[in-house]
Amino acid sequence: MRAKAEIPKGGFNFDNYRRNVFLEKQGLGLPKAIKTGTTIIGIHFKDGIILGADTRSTNDTIVANKNCKKIHYLAPNMYCAGAGTAADTEQSNALISSQLELHRLATGRQSRVITAVAMLKQMLFRYQGHVSAALIIGGYDISGPSLYNVHPHGSSDKLPFVAMGSGSLAAMAILESRWTKDLERDDAIELAKDAIEAGIFNDLGSGSNVDINIIEKDKVEILKNYAKPNERAVKEQSYKYKRGATAYLKEYVREFIVTEGDAMDIS
Amino acid sequence: MAVEYQGGVVIGADSRTTLGAYVANRVTDKLTPLHDKIYCCRSGSAADTQFIAELVRYYLQIVQHNEPPSVQTAAALFHELCYQNKDHLLAGIICAGWDKHNGGTIYTIPLGGSIHRQPFTIGGSGSSFIYGYCDANYRKNMTQEETVEFVKNAVTLAMSRDGSSGGCVRIAIINEDGVKKHFFPGNQLPVFYEGEDTVS
Amino acid sequence: MNPVDFYNETLTSVPTEHGFYPYESNGGTALAIAGEDFCVVASDTRQSNGYLINARYAPKAFKMSEKAVLANSVFAADGNALVRRLTQRIQWYKHSHEKEISITALAQLVSNTLYYKRFFPFYTQVLLGGIDESGAGVVYSFDPVGSYGLEVCRANGTASALIQPFLDNQVEFKNVQFDDKPRMTLDRAICIAKDAFTSATERDIYTGDHLEIFIIKQDGITIESYPLKKD
Repeated sequence: MRAKAEIPKGGFNFDNYRRNVFLEKQGLGLPKAIKTGTTIIGIHFKDGIILGADTRSTNDTIVANKNCKKIHYLAPNMYCAGAGTAADTEQSNALISSQLELHRLATGRQSRVITAVAMLKQMLFRYQGHVSAALIIGGYDISGPSLYNVHPHGSSDKLPFVAMGSGSLAAMAILESRWTKDLERDDAIELAKDAIEAGIFNDLGSGSNVDINIIEKDKVEILKNYAKPNERAVKEQSYKYKRGATAYLKEYVREFIVTEGDAMDIS
Repeated sequence: MAVEYQGGVVIGADSRTTLGAYVANRVTDKLTPLHDKIYCCRSGSAADTQFIAELVRYYLQIVQHNEPPSVQTAAALFHELCYQNKDHLLAGIICAGWDKHNGGTIYTIPLGGSIHRQPFTIGGSGSSFIYGYCDANYRKNMTQEETVEFVKNAVTLAMSRDGSSGGCVRIAIINEDGVKKHFFPGNQLPVFYEGEDTVS
Repeated sequence: MNPVDFYNETLTSVPTEHGFYPYESNGGTALAIAGEDFCVVASDTRQSNGYLINARYAPKAFKMSEKAVLANSVFAADGNALVRRLTQRIQWYKHSHEKEISITALAQLVSNTLYYKRFFPFYTQVLLGGIDESGAGVVYSFDPVGSYGLEVCRANGTASALIQPFLDNQVEFKNVQFDDKPRMTLDRAICIAKDAFTSATERDIYTGDHLEIFIIKQDGITIESYPLKKD
């Protein structure tokens, strides 16, 4: 017989970890977090950075949100597109965004892209990949336009054009064939749109609409739903029921307005 | 890889970062500056090596001396970090540079976190393919031009045999005068045997 | 056994099995609705694997005779193999009995063919829609090893959980009470099929590209096809 279980004296308690592993083996795992099977891209053009994203978020094979936002605010001159677990990308962005704001208030200077990237990658590295946020950070600061991507384990790259998420291969195919140095603004937007659409149509994790953010010197333009290539088909008929179609067993009415004494004098 | 020559060191690396079979970055700069005349070449996990290189860079900045830090100091820091955290890291580092005490110096800190000073060293997944070439062609006291050619050839050969290596070749020459960086695109590299005239 | 030991037992002594896995899921959805004198079988044509689309037009529904259409989902390779096998058996039946196979006989044949591979099953869910000897619309649905039943309407595949409740409600009028329940006309069945698929395409990532509707009537089978969203 085993000696009776020791009572932990301090530190972490892993009882639930073992229980959860056991339950998982019995086929009772944790509910799945919403992952944004995603296409996100970022490109350099002549006077700035363009970030692009699709708008589908999935919960396993079901579409959880048909028009969600994947490009997040970091600073007035900086935005970030996120792929991976929705909660992780949103929370890490919110955290860094608030730290940047405080840093700006303390220093009175504009935030730098490299600062945000350094903070994000240090945080992600500390979590050893358990925070699954794959990010593309674009901004315009003292050193001009810059574009980085950060992987969930905390590595980063500085590149002229990047794609991440499950649709990144489809999007990267477009970018690799058409990106050139010093693209005109309109051409760059078109390229970004086409790259995202490649993800939308060829990757099942990505879908719905195209969101575009254009970041230039002292100017940011947010084009939510820049392209909508997937409008819903019109239904053949209405499925509205006549009143009373739902059966019920009992009915009772509760009075919520209680009148007590005289009305209050509010003159 | 890194090679000592008469007045300093030449370091070189390919430019490929892979995520499984996907090339995540084909123009990576794996030659990471740590100080004015100290660089490192990173191999293994990108996240781990970027992180420890950033730490070493930070330490070399805050530690104030009357003179710039030596390559040995930088390498010792890598050694300490890689050895103490060996269970959590996948990092193969070559630390190279120039200082006034030892001239051009090269240290390698492989996976377990040991440290070795060598006149030339190679590392990373492609290195096993070029041990023969490097052992056969390395000579003491080469000129700068000879060393650059040697590094360029060796990295090119590794790239052509190793699937995880490829793209372009980046080279940096570090000596008393500072650092000079060179970039060779994939289509401007020496061509070796590529399987032509195979008897079918 | 005390629970801690039970945990440890289950956690430690489990051999990991890996190796050849002969099946995969190719997604897609099919539905069938039986009417008084007709039957509608509809399916999308997308075939995928993981996040990748293998083909945008790879039909899952096939005409098996002048009065029967078979739709399958889950593993496309097994579905296609099953259809080939059945087509051959239907030909043999025709030659040896000198008549077209009835839907009742065909349903039994499908069941036998599936059960024949009881211990290495065709990894597929089958729907069979058609007209019986009396001219009435019928729908049979099968599990992968041949258990089957006669139904009024049925949805199969990755969006089945989205479509089946809709069909139960709109075709069999489950969970509603009102007097003038409309008769199931062919037009209404087609409308329901179309709306079921356009709606399923919105929320199921494996359903999309094209919709093929087979209309089986006493005087033969017609096929209508419509585009679905491609994202």
